[in-house]
Amino acid sequence: MQTLTMTRFLTALLVWTLMAPGSGGRGRGTAWPTHTACRNEGLEVLYQSCDPLQDFGFSVDQCSKQLKPNLRIRLGIILREDIRELYLDISLISKGTSVLHYSYPICEADLPKFSFCGKKKGEQVYYAGPVNNPGFEIFKGEYQILLELYNEKRATVACANATVICS
Amino acid sequence: MAPEVSCCFLVVLLSASCEVITSSDQMCIEKEANRIYNCENLGLSEIPDTLPNTTEFLEFSFNFLPTIQNTTFSGLINLIFLDLTRCQINWIHENAFQSHPQLSTLVLTGNPLIFVAETALNGPKSLKHLFLIQTGIFSLEFIPAHNLKNLESLHLGSNHISSIKFPKDFPTGNLKVLDFQNNVIHYLSREDMDSLKPATKLSLNFNGNDIQGIEPGAFQSMVFQSLNFGGTVNLSVIFSGLHNSTIQSLWLGTFEDTEDQDLSSSMFEGLCEISVESMNLQKHSFSSLSSATFQCFTHLQELDLTGNHLKELPPGIKGMNSLKKLVLNVNKFEQLCQINADSFPSLTHLYIKGNIKKLQLGAGCLEKLENLQKLDLSHNDIEASDCCNLQLKNLSHLQSLNLSYNEALGLRNEAFKACPQLKLLDLAFTQLHINFPQSPFQNLHLLQVLNLSHCFLDTSNQYLLAGLPNLRHLNLQGNRFQDGNIPKTNLFQMVGSLEILVLSSCDLSFIDQEAFHGLGNMIHVDLSHNNLTSSSINALSQLKGTYLSLASNSICIIPPHLLPILSQQNIINLSHNPLDCTCSNIHFLTWYKENVQKLEDFKELRCANPPPLQGVQLSDVTLSCGITAVGTFFLTVFLFLLAALLIYVIKFFLRWKYQHL
Repeated sequence: MQTLTMTRFLTALLVWTLMAPGSGGRGRGTAWPTHTACRNEGLEVLYQSCDPLQDFGFSVDQCSKQLKPNLRIRLGIILREDIRELYLDISLISKGTSVLHYSYPICEADLPKFSFCGKKKGEQVYYAGPVNNPGFEIFKGEYQILLELYNEKRATVACANATVICS
Repeated sequence: MAPEVSCCFLVVLLSASCEVITSSDQMCIEKEANRIYNCENLGLSEIPDTLPNTTEFLEFSFNFLPTIQNTTFSGLINLIFLDLTRCQINWIHENAFQSHPQLSTLVLTGNPLIFVAETALNGPKSLKHLFLIQTGIFSLEFIPAHNLKNLESLHLGSNHISSIKFPKDFPTGNLKVLDFQNNVIHYLSREDMDSLKPATKLSLNFNGNDIQGIEPGAFQSMVFQSLNFGGTVNLSVIFSGLHNSTIQSLWLGTFEDTEDQDLSSSMFEGLCEISVESMNLQKHSFSSLSSATFQCFTHLQELDLTGNHLKELPPGIKGMNSLKKLVLNVNKFEQLCQINADSFPSLTHLYIKGNIKKLQLGAGCLEKLENLQKLDLSHNDIEASDCCNLQLKNLSHLQSLNLSYNEALGLRNEAFKACPQLKLLDLAFTQLHINFPQSPFQNLHLLQVLNLSHCFLDTSNQYLLAGLPNLRHLNLQGNRFQDGNIPKTNLFQMVGSLEILVLSSCDLSFIDQEAFHGLGNMIHVDLSHNNLTSSSINALSQLKGTYLSLASNSICIIPPHLLPILSQQNIINLSHNPLDCTCSNIHFLTWYKENVQKLEDFKELRCANPPPLQGVQLSDVTLSCGITAVGTFFLTVFLFLLAALLIYVIKFFLRWKYQHL
């Protein structure tokens, strides 16, 4: 009886593992390509979308170890959610553990900071402009950064695994 | 050998027969049976046959429907809401929605529309909301106007529209919301606006258009619910253009990524000729701020100056006697007195949130605001060793006070004596220094809601909550209790009127059986994210008909005598506990099956034990702990064999003994 039960359990598990990657739309199960956000004089920023549904485009205009304040970026993405409210979570990961976690509101109902705030699901966003960051120096090493954009329903708008290599 | 065999045998006899059912449905998600379906992101090129014809709400975005014709949705005749966002639609042919009389909302956002047939939108008896955002529209003539007489909202954002002039036959009479965000409209003429004259109480959105000119008189004697000119550089164009109009809410803010021009006093001259109730100027800068800047603000009821780089408001602003609501969030004040509150004697709502500098409350800075009902001073790094009577002097009508997300505050007895009418007090994430046995909230007779989450409270002070006869809602999330215990004598004895109590993330490991005695009105108890085991459930025996959350605790086995306590509650959340799915927990597992309708988040009730069932949903586990028919058979055979063996051994022993006589 036990063996029968175990067999059924294992069969179900096998069926599930076989079916799971195939469920849902295209792109699931396969990773998006890694892009270069910038590469310049000893600093390289690579990123990969971790949203299973879609990729996005991102670049930083200046790229230097002495990071300037108010960097200009370019970002192109299709919204899969309304962004009346939009928040950014940044996690700095070193050797698999989160070292620093930071959350920043980009669009709020009572303070839409950027002109794209309030865009609707299905709209395309192309943003080329400043990001209001402080300036700081990047020390030598390799850093993993997880960035996530999400709205008030905690639905993912964008997700990126970034690697910063400073040599 | 023998004990091993029998052990194995016993395991076979008593082992749970478990079943795991996993279904992986690739099709649409049923959100409400026969009514609401979600088919997003499935790459479908037609409507699945599996959808019932009773479907009313269909989310079909991110699929593939290049052409829509009258057969496309013909099976779903009861549609009320249809979302076709980003379905790569090029063509909408004649009578596409002919058989959908109920259709009220149609979302076509993000489709590269080439042509929409003249009769494409015929059919719905009352189409109310139409979304044509980013569909490549250049001209309003593109929209077939035939069947739009009931339209209440029309969303035309992110297109290439340069003129808002509607075609002659376009019915605008019922429009309430008209959204032109992010188009290329630079000029508004009288003729343009005339086509909107039939609409009453319209909300019109020109955010992200940079209006450079308005024909004089274009808005003459028109009445609007709201007007949004967000991101417009030259505000004097707007003010002079809106001459003689009536606007409930006027949004003129700008953004971080928009070129900005400093606001001067002369820019606001046109405001004297407009009737505006509420105005937002977020993220602008004033070139030189004086009392004269505000001379045309006299009729305003609400003013929002969020992120205006303000270091102070000039003293002696005349004529803002009627201002009711003032928002000064994200500015650069150093002292609360720098807002010169005397200028706004009628103020009922004041928001100073997220000040960029550390804000000092000073003494009596708001004492002239006798009518103030709501005050938000959150996220300001406020620090005060003796709060808050001097700081909030004379605010005797204050009902709602938000001091959350600040630095440390020292509170003594009757710390809020200055505002005896308080109904809501939010101190979340502000460290509070309260010495034993002080009662800082004493005499807040009307206080109903008190948020003390993450305040680093000394919870052993049983007088902490004294003097709150009407307190209904208490949040103590993230505060520690000594040794993780809530003892018999505790601070809750003072607040017998409590209805909602939040004690999540308090590192609790035990609650005394009588800890909640006297809390007879409770309707909502949140004990989630602690280390409670089932032994603490006894403390809840007084509660009946409540919402009870025990999610994310350390509950493994719930013995039968505790199940009636759970049964008498209304809704229970037991998700994310390391539940035991062996026969030692059979009573609870049986109870679970009978009470699924009471369990919130029941899909997250998972087994932690035994190892083969780890992570499996409780709903997928069937445990049979009695001896089954097969078990009985094996047991009989086993006993029979044992008897035979015994007889044989006895026989052998007797023979051996006999032989050795």
